[in-house]
Amino acid sequence: MYAAASGMAAQQTNLDVIADNLANADVAGFKRAAAGFIDVNAGGTIGLGTASTGTRPDFAQGKLMKSGGPFDVAIDGPGFFRVERGGQRAYTRNGEFARAADGTLRNAAGWQLRDVRIPEDATAIHVGADGRVTIDTAGTTGRPAGRIRLATFASAENLRALGGTTYAATDASGPEHRIGPGGPNAPRIAFGMLERSNVSIIESMMQILNAQRAYEANAKGVQAADEMQRIANNLHRS
Amino acid sequence: MTWMASAMRAAQAQLDTATHNLANVATDGFRRVRSAVELTARGLVARELPDPTQGGIRETGRPFDLALLGPGSFAVEGARTRSGSFIRDRDGWLTDRQGRRLLGARGPLRVSDGATVAADGTVRDGSRIVDRIPLPPGTRIRSGALEASGVDAIGESLAILTAQRAFETAQKTLVAIDQTREKAVNDVARLK
Repeated sequence: MYAAASGMAAQQTNLDVIADNLANADVAGFKRAAAGFIDVNAGGTIGLGTASTGTRPDFAQGKLMKSGGPFDVAIDGPGFFRVERGGQRAYTRNGEFARAADGTLRNAAGWQLRDVRIPEDATAIHVGADGRVTIDTAGTTGRPAGRIRLATFASAENLRALGGTTYAATDASGPEHRIGPGGPNAPRIAFGMLERSNVSIIESMMQILNAQRAYEANAKGVQAADEMQRIANNLHRS
Repeated sequence: MTWMASAMRAAQAQLDTATHNLANVATDGFRRVRSAVELTARGLVARELPDPTQGGIRETGRPFDLALLGPGSFAVEGARTRSGSFIRDRDGWLTDRQGRRLLGARGPLRVSDGATVAADGTVRDGSRIVDRIPLPPGTRIRSGALEASGVDAIGESLAILTAQRAFETAQKTLVAIDQTREKAVNDVARLK
């Protein structure tokens, strides 16, 4: 009975992760996650069902698409934008930034892109593949306004998800390595583009159907075990 | 009567096996366990046998997701597993989902980001051969893919129903035998 119940719990976890993927399928820079499971054995071959080993993000590159935002950037290759909010540092591949009143570039969740500031008199912005930001003003063109640097990690899969597209460094991921984009073998910045999420809606729908069927089958297992215990308990009365 | 009790125990064991299999329908690399019921001097006994059926292969594109094609398993620290979802940890060691390091022929494997695993288990860092993942003869490794669970949910659901019916049949038979004995003890010897 507990083996079947552990199977129900596993499929519940599975469904939660897939549903979160689906909910974020249209969010730029979102990375799908997958739940992992192991079988639980107490000595012999037959065991106690299954247990979760946690969820892990899959940082496979999403497709880049043209976008309309004034400061949309995407990373072509590995790495993360370095952002901060209220002193907390984090990492994201969502490059949907907009200029705030104080000249900083922030995304919808209020995370500020580090190292870049856009002055008020800027009339046009340009970002090179190497991350260098230049602005035009009424009188000048091509004035430097900072450079976007990216962070890579020894073990990006061990970053801690902060929700949505944002991650924090952990002991297991190792500290950030700061890299300048645009060099040979280095990621490039694509200006005027956004990275689509790497969630495949069709694949996720298939996963949901499978998980639901598996959940129901495990529920039947719980019922069967319960029924057999009831029969055994009533043996003396029949 | 003890025979019917053994039949009930065997049905219970079959149910345990089926529910354990079913619980692991989403566990990568899981090999289902087969429950075989045998008639012995002690009555019916259910034995658990590993089912060597290969699970389906699912492409993931991640270079350190390794699927075993054929028998065998990966050696990780303190255990063996067919679950081939490995990542590099911060120091470059290949680790499984429980943080155990993957062992090559010469010990734990440490690689850089661009390392590759060939079908014969050879681990290369660029052109340098780091080590080899030991494999039984004939078994290959597919990199960028995972072996899905070998459990078929429909088959296990049927096994659950079968076990439940077998249990009920044994129980009904047991009750019938018990009633016969009751008659023998209480009625046959009664003088009219």
